[in-house]
Amino acid sequence: MKNKIKDVVLFNIGAVVVGLVISACMLLFMDVNPVTVFSKAFLKIITDKYTLGEVLVKATPLMFTALAFAFTYKANLFNIGAQGQFYAGATVAVTLSLSLGEALPTPLLILVVLVCSFLAGGLIGALIGLAKAKFNANEFLVSMMSTYVVDAFMDYLLRTFLRETKGEYLQTDPISQNAYLPNIIPGTRVHLGFLLAVLTAIVVWVLLYKTPLGFRIRAVGNNASAAELAGIRAKKIYVIAFLISGGLAGMAGLTEINGVQHMLLQDFNSSIGSYGIGIAILANGNPIGVIFASVLFGLLSIMGTTMGRMPGLNIPASIIDLLQGIVMLCVIVAYFLRYYMEIRREKKKLQKASVEHA
Amino acid sequence: MDASVVELRNISKYFAKVIANQDVSFSVQKGEVLALLGENGAGKSTIMKCLYGLYRADEGTILIDGQETVIHSPKDAMAKGIAMIQQHFSLVPAHTVTENIILGNVRGPIHMKECREKVRRIAEEAGFEIPVDARVRDLAVGVQQKVEIMKALYINARILIMDEPTAVLTPQESETLMRFIKKFAEKGNSVIFITHKLKEVMEVADRIVVMRDGRVAGNLRKEETDERELSRLMMGEDVIPAIRTDGEGTTSGEVVLDVQNIRVGGGKAPVLLDGISFQIRRGEVFGIAGVSGNGQDELCEVICGDLPLSEGKLLYCGRDIQHDSIRRRIDAGIGYVPVDRYRDGLIMNMTLAENMMLKTSFDKKWTRRGFIDQKKLNSYTQDIIREHQVKAPGPDAPAKSLSGGNQQKMVLGREIDVGSTLIVFNQPTRGLDMGAVNRIHRAILEEKAKGKGILMVSTELSEIFALSDWIAVLYKGRVMGIFRNGELSTQQIGLLMAGYDLEKGGGDEK
Amino acid sequence: MLNVLSRAIMMGTPLLLGALAEVYAERAGMMITAIEGIFLMGAWGGFVGTYISGSAVTGLLVAIGCGVITAAIYGVITVYLRQQQIVTGTAINILAAGFCAFFQRVLFGIPTTPLQIKTLPKLAIPLLSKIPWIGEIFFHQNILTYLVYLLIPVAWYVLNKTSVGLAIRSTGENPQAVDVAGMSVSRIRFLTVLLAGVAGGVAGSFYSLGYLGMYTSGIINGRGWIAFAICFLGNWSTKGVVLGTLVFGLADSISIYIQALSGGSAFPNELIIALPYILTIVLTVFRKSFNVPTQLGVPYSKEN
Repeated sequence: MKNKIKDVVLFNIGAVVVGLVISACMLLFMDVNPVTVFSKAFLKIITDKYTLGEVLVKATPLMFTALAFAFTYKANLFNIGAQGQFYAGATVAVTLSLSLGEALPTPLLILVVLVCSFLAGGLIGALIGLAKAKFNANEFLVSMMSTYVVDAFMDYLLRTFLRETKGEYLQTDPISQNAYLPNIIPGTRVHLGFLLAVLTAIVVWVLLYKTPLGFRIRAVGNNASAAELAGIRAKKIYVIAFLISGGLAGMAGLTEINGVQHMLLQDFNSSIGSYGIGIAILANGNPIGVIFASVLFGLLSIMGTTMGRMPGLNIPASIIDLLQGIVMLCVIVAYFLRYYMEIRREKKKLQKASVEHA
Repeated sequence: MDASVVELRNISKYFAKVIANQDVSFSVQKGEVLALLGENGAGKSTIMKCLYGLYRADEGTILIDGQETVIHSPKDAMAKGIAMIQQHFSLVPAHTVTENIILGNVRGPIHMKECREKVRRIAEEAGFEIPVDARVRDLAVGVQQKVEIMKALYINARILIMDEPTAVLTPQESETLMRFIKKFAEKGNSVIFITHKLKEVMEVADRIVVMRDGRVAGNLRKEETDERELSRLMMGEDVIPAIRTDGEGTTSGEVVLDVQNIRVGGGKAPVLLDGISFQIRRGEVFGIAGVSGNGQDELCEVICGDLPLSEGKLLYCGRDIQHDSIRRRIDAGIGYVPVDRYRDGLIMNMTLAENMMLKTSFDKKWTRRGFIDQKKLNSYTQDIIREHQVKAPGPDAPAKSLSGGNQQKMVLGREIDVGSTLIVFNQPTRGLDMGAVNRIHRAILEEKAKGKGILMVSTELSEIFALSDWIAVLYKGRVMGIFRNGELSTQQIGLLMAGYDLEKGGGDEK
Repeated sequence: MLNVLSRAIMMGTPLLLGALAEVYAERAGMMITAIEGIFLMGAWGGFVGTYISGSAVTGLLVAIGCGVITAAIYGVITVYLRQQQIVTGTAINILAAGFCAFFQRVLFGIPTTPLQIKTLPKLAIPLLSKIPWIGEIFFHQNILTYLVYLLIPVAWYVLNKTSVGLAIRSTGENPQAVDVAGMSVSRIRFLTVLLAGVAGGVAGSFYSLGYLGMYTSGIINGRGWIAFAICFLGNWSTKGVVLGTLVFGLADSISIYIQALSGGSAFPNELIIALPYILTIVLTVFRKSFNVPTQLGVPYSKEN
């Protein structure tokens, strides 16, 4: 068991390195020396406290969306609507922060926003779960489509009720300072949300692996038929699992609105949903692994922006997508390689043993 | 019987975790019926899949008509006139008989009319009555097997491999099959017949190759051997401990399960169970015989709460439980060993320990302050592993890493504890080797001795006869009769299994 | 009105192409979850090819090439390496988005005015286009749409009446049967994925070549997923997919029409934008009698 975890970590690191090398080579198309640029960017990140902090800031919402995917992924269910659930959470967070911003003391306000953004994302999730439980709908398709619907709804609110008082852009007014998540590392933008994310990952792990509810969720996901025969009502579990999953994505709404952006705008963090999936895969669905994988993705992302800011090079920000896509594919291929090599090793061992035996 | 049509030389095949075949050599003659005899897991199917090109052998050579031949895929095998009928049929249930037969044997546009005619002609020649336009999923298993045979006839196969063909047939259907095999071989074709049933071997085979643990344990002519020798070669030991029911008809305990006139389906839905009534008392094994697919699974599901009944009463210890959830029935002490442990019994991706708490996940005994008490669960799992002699590395091992027999023992161990009053066994030994079968039979009888009521569905008549106090035969969702063990001959049970009424059709039997 | 209907046919063209390919692949057991990425690559390839060469034919060929390469990566990983289809598709979709954006910059830098190409011309079919109503709606379209008209009966015929179709349908229902019959399950599946690459590439290029005359990173915006959904809603049949496409083409067209009408007003045109997606959800949830290929999304391996 220990060895297996070691194997996973080693193979994943290998895959990430290979992925980085491949995407670095893409820079050659821009007549840029990848080695110097990468090392420069890396050096900048580890020497500059603010930039280093940005890695954690970036990692925070990714942790939530990754947990959202991982939570159901381990149960063989697919919630790929984390983007929409995040939007739902963010919309609720900004609405509450705007309307209650001055009325409540910060800790209480944050708590209220936390609970409500969880519930907002959770509601979307629960509806997906309900569609699966009640109508046996394909959760993959429904969750995928739900993002587009929520996105449109958010755009509508941004254009109407939530629009800034100036009425110039499609965005809200900034929220009151009173509603900000407190900063935890001076000199950076790292806020309490990061700790919250790490804590959530641990709670999710405990929930999934140490409680009967988590056990039942995994049981239903792996084999609904056997779980039903064991008296576990799969339909109920679908709703609960998707509710929690959606809620986790919704919590990213809190950290992004109250921790970073302090307002809601159109196309806000529009790819954290799909990155979350990548991170969850990289972590093999393990909530603890998600913490590290998110920080890694945060790092990649900041490296991308750092490169983009380098004078005279013109490296586009899209290098991040390219990089993350390639890294994900490498991780998936590494899964196969690990499995393949394990099988081969065992077969060879057997062959050898039987020859010696004979 | 002059030249070998097929000769296998020193074939070895390794899987990741097991040696499937090692150094296997034998040959098949023209016009010969060769029985490949061995227990489950002895490597019979694997060696034949190597011959048929589904697997690639790791070592060794194959000779066909004396020529060394490399078989890359079933296409090569078919070109050499080899056909193989898999144990689990390889038919597409949603497609028609004709579509299934021509799959892979047509090119370009399909002229359905011509194909249909050709299929009909072949069916006629073989003496099969087959609706060529029916969807395979609507056909009985026995007919599906004929479709499989027709696939072989369609490509003019001269070497026919059949993997456990009688497993799904009634005794009478088996006889028809045997007659077909003999006739087919008389025409100068060869048949390789994979089985673990000694009786069939003695009935149909010219020669017998016995396999054990992936190797050839014996290669004999039928005239030179007998069932005793064969079973010794197959098992590797001289005596099989036969298990017999102890005490005859002594049971007069209280009624545990009282099934009254149960009906499932009806109206627009097909009738799955029709007017079923019986009682099971404490300390009784109530055996249900029948060809699979005649309502056995549904009956088990009704009792365990997975399938609602449309009419009738289901009394458990005198209380009507038909509206109780599965969970409540588990709490009330009904255990269930399902027929398909992959689908219903275990969660293969989870550990053994987790599987042991599956049925009782709501029970407070597994938690401490809301969290799973891993220590307690592990020690319980360890107890089951020890008690039932399960070969497993430990409670942490994933269920899928165990062999079928050991998985079944884990299910058994769990259900014996869950079923404190009644245990339902649905084909508890299907696909297991003799060792595991023995162990499970003994466990069933032990539970019976403890005074539990036991319902056992089986398609193996030997199992029914060995364990049951009462025998009921199911046919198309109806009980054909309930008898004491010993009242019926194999012949009579066979007739009941095929739907004949003993009173009407079988007067001369008595 | 005629305009809206005519546009519905036009907007349905790429959706139908994608959905037909999806039907083939899914009947063989393969969900093309990379379809969004394949569409995007097709759109980008079509634009780049046309812009650089000045010829729409070249653009189309480049689009097909991009689609096939993307599909091939997906196919190798899911068919031969037997990895999870949803997960692999997600990775490929992210990669495709990054790839197109990155190389758009590599090739064109940051242009001051949007780069334009000529859209495919509308061709009026002689005689047929003169039929009132019908002619206006169906026979004033571009070449790709006419291609799709021809494709519908061909796709139906091949799937239902030929040995290739039988093999594909059998693969999704019981791959073992195909294997035992001496055909390669992997090859059949991989080929259907490549087919989806060709169709998806062309479909994607429709958005840049046939409709917008330019490339933007949001050009596909979930349309690949709509094609994917149409396959589900069309009950995995060619006929069902044609019907489904009409519905979605209409939704797409009405949405564009109303947006143009109501720009800036209080009318919730976001609702209209979301209409196709809402429609998908509603239909997915309430649609009955699904005819799902039994082995959909399940990797096949004969040894274990």
